[in-house]
Amino acid sequence: MDKAETFIAALQANQGSIYKIASLYTHEAEDRDDLVQEIIYQLWKSFDSFNQQSKLSTWIYRVAMNVAIYHLKVTKRKVPIVPIDEQLSNLPDVDNSQDEEQWKLLKTFVDKLNLLDKGLVILYLEEKTYEEMAEIIGISVSNVATKLSRIKEKLKQQISKQA
Amino acid sequence: MELDDLKNSWHQATGRVEKPQIITRAMLEKINRTKYRLRIKKIITAEISGSSVCLVAALYIGYSFNKLDTAFLQVTGVVAILLLLLLPTISFVSIRQLSKAGNFNKSYAETLKAFAVDKKRFIRLQKLNITFSYVLLLTMIVLLVKLFGGNDLSENKHFWLFSFPISYIFLLFYAKWVQKYYQQALQQAEELLAELNT
Repeated sequence: MDKAETFIAALQANQGSIYKIASLYTHEAEDRDDLVQEIIYQLWKSFDSFNQQSKLSTWIYRVAMNVAIYHLKVTKRKVPIVPIDEQLSNLPDVDNSQDEEQWKLLKTFVDKLNLLDKGLVILYLEEKTYEEMAEIIGISVSNVATKLSRIKEKLKQQISKQA
Repeated sequence: MELDDLKNSWHQATGRVEKPQIITRAMLEKINRTKYRLRIKKIITAEISGSSVCLVAALYIGYSFNKLDTAFLQVTGVVAILLLLLLPTISFVSIRQLSKAGNFNKSYAETLKAFAVDKKRFIRLQKLNITFSYVLLLTMIVLLVKLFGGNDLSENKHFWLFSFPISYIFLLFYAKWVQKYYQQALQQAEELLAELNT
């Protein structure tokens, strides 16, 4: 298997996560697709620097979330993008209205968080271990636990305010 | 509702995007080609076109400088030329700093720190740019009236009577608007930095 094939296989295994990360850092479909392409581009550019000390998926998450931050800085300078699969462009438009409502609730909650907490919530939802979260984010495991319990409390307060 | 309850919608979304195997070698090559081309285009269009307009205006004022026949108009002309050269430079520097991609292999927290610092610097430069733009606007009004209408506003008694009070009121509202516009972003950046440093 050559480098491109290895890379594509890794991307295909993690493409769902890449699209969801992009969805949570953007507000419009066009912007999200642009971010997805930027992530793929940067992953490919940095693929040689992946040192295999961490899991491939851990590295993909780290790069994808870092690119999402970079994208936030330059997002106002919009440029045309390569058309991508139509099915992917429909990610938030889920067919089941209850699912759609749940997704909107998730997005509303995440949008209110600061960027550090947003990163933690994404990794939590992806069911990463505390050790993996600490490695990707670059903080201690105990710090991850403290911040997550604070985020959970914040969500409870938010829900009780809405009720 | 708990954070764990939101996992369902997260995983349902995964199911929707993992079915099609859309990322192919051809698509990867296309993205790489397009991103490289657009990266160059972005720099050329945004930074060069804005700077060109300012440079042309500065050259025009310099070329017509002999028409500015009073000390007031000459000082105004010099200030306008300096601002027309300074504004694109500030813009160029701030956009360059913002567009710097950096190292994506770093930890998320390190990237966030750099992001918050860059954002604070960008906001400071934008505030400076807006203030200079306002001064440029005033100088251009005086110069355009002279260069295209042949009138010297400084000889008009109404100009001195009204320009200062009106400018002051305008500046007051303008400064409040600038403060309000950037305050939230600045506060968020500072809070993020504080949290990352704890």
